Amino acid sequence: MDKLIFKVRDLKKVYNNKIVLDVDNLNFQEGKIYAIVGPNGSGKTTLLNILNLLEKPDEGQIFFYDQEITNKSNSDTLEIRRKITLVNQDPFLFHSTVYDNIAYGLKIRSIPPKVQKSRIRSALNIVGLSGFKNRKADQLSGGEAQRVVIARALVIEPEILFLDEPTTSIDQKHIDVVERVIKKIKKEIKATVIFTTHDLSQAYRLADEVISLLDGKIIKQVPENLLRGEIIEEEDNLKWFKTAGNIKFAIVSEKVGLAYISIDPRDIILSYEQFQSSARNSFLGKIAKIIEQNHLVKLEIDIGIPLVVIITRESFFKMNLNLGSKVYLTFKASAVKLY
Amino acid sequence: MDFIIEGIHKAFQLIFTLDSEIFNIVLLSLRVSLTAVILASLLGVYLGFLMAVKDYWGKRFSVALVNTLLALPTVVIGLIVYSLISRRGPLGIFELLYTPSAMIIGQFILAVPIIIALTHSAVQGIDKRVRNTALTLGATEAQSAWMVIKEARYAVLAAVITGFGRVIAEVGAAMMLGGNIKGSTRVMTTAIALESTKGEFGFAIALGIILLFVAFSINILLHYFQSKRV
Repeated sequence: MDKLIFKVRDLKKVYNNKIVLDVDNLNFQEGKIYAIVGPNGSGKTTLLNILNLLEKPDEGQIFFYDQEITNKSNSDTLEIRRKITLVNQDPFLFHSTVYDNIAYGLKIRSIPPKVQKSRIRSALNIVGLSGFKNRKADQLSGGEAQRVVIARALVIEPEILFLDEPTTSIDQKHIDVVERVIKKIKKEIKATVIFTTHDLSQAYRLADEVISLLDGKIIKQVPENLLRGEIIEEEDNLKWFKTAGNIKFAIVSEKVGLAYISIDPRDIILSYEQFQSSARNSFLGKIAKIIEQNHLVKLEIDIGIPLVVIITRESFFKMNLNLGSKVYLTFKASAVKLY
Repeated sequence: MDFIIEGIHKAFQLIFTLDSEIFNIVLLSLRVSLTAVILASLLGVYLGFLMAVKDYWGKRFSVALVNTLLALPTVVIGLIVYSLISRRGPLGIFELLYTPSAMIIGQFILAVPIIIALTHSAVQGIDKRVRNTALTLGATEAQSAWMVIKEARYAVLAAVITGFGRVIAEVGAAMMLGGNIKGSTRVMTTAIALESTKGEFGFAIALGIILLFVAFSINILLHYFQSKRV
């Protein structure tokens, strides 16, 4: 059996009297890739910062292998901190050259300059920035900076690499590189990788295990079409869920206020024309993405926000759907699951 | 009018012939002020850094106090140090009065608040991610603190240079604590004060020009460092 590199027990973190993280039991196995998914504000970054010993939990325990590391001072955990590292969501480069930035972790570990040099060269190779050694950090694009930060983390050969939203604010070209690097880390460096993302398909593409956070809690299944918004009540006593782009879904709910919902992509019916039915939700959208999965087809449809719809291959071909096709999405208020 | 023109004429003569008395006064000035500023930087940068990054009781008060001390008149520093190191004072046994060491003490006290205050605001302006980035890369507390200072290097250097500019140009403490003794504690500012009252305008103007030149160089340096990105 694989060893557990991190164990989390009954962890709680409170900000301004609000519980932002509440995790009973969470294990990370050595050498695996983990994706932590969830919408903004679900506690992903807080969990990462706590595991990285940058923040302290209010309750609970964290173990690194079998050693408890909760509430230890930075000097007590130095040895462990030197085995793990974090690539931040909003990466920071020191005001010097790319080379000096990457060398920092090696310098403070007193690694001999010769070894430093060769390790920095190979780290730059891995992220595809071989010629960037002498560039000044402030002359890099956002995507290049993100890759330098990853090289700076790789060069110290960590046992665990944490990446907080590594692909959120960079363009596709860099996203591909970063995803390739994550796969490479597992194969070649054999480090454990734990990254956060709000892109579910990325999580499944890269990770051995996907952990889903919602409102600070771990939820069993990762729902598609997870949305954050507000439940409002209108004069007719009907409840609506209002989310980004002023889109309103009819829902069945007792409460009002901020909430998360999800819509099962199998519960959404596609049609070329709007039809009369008992279903209260009907939207016109445009097909933005088509992904074939065995006997099913996953479609991303833009109705102002992207919604995922899953239909069978048979229906897909029968309806003759294409990228850009305009279709109606219909689903019942009771298909909207409330959290 | 003639005496001014004559004075300026004489001054350039003294400067270009590298007059040994002027030369020695300038050297002593630089020695005293540089020593004072180096010592003040060791303490001031450290304290300014701590004030910026640590949370402690009375933090706001200490910031206000340091800012008040920026306005400390040099003669008051002279008075305080004089009363401590004069023969009857508590530190009288060291016989420091009228020595370069006494002037260094005075200028040290003058420079420390300036360096603390400017380092404090320099470090406060540094991105909070510097410390966390250093820590996640495996730095000790001391190594991460050093990284923060390094990121603030230009602004901290500007703090030190500002301190130097202040002490090289001050006259009150140097006069009271050094006593303006020829060949021993006579520095540029005290020499200018004395020589002009003696009517030796050429000598005074020569030193004035050199002092202005030093001040000008300091400001050029300061501008250079301030224009660098922190």
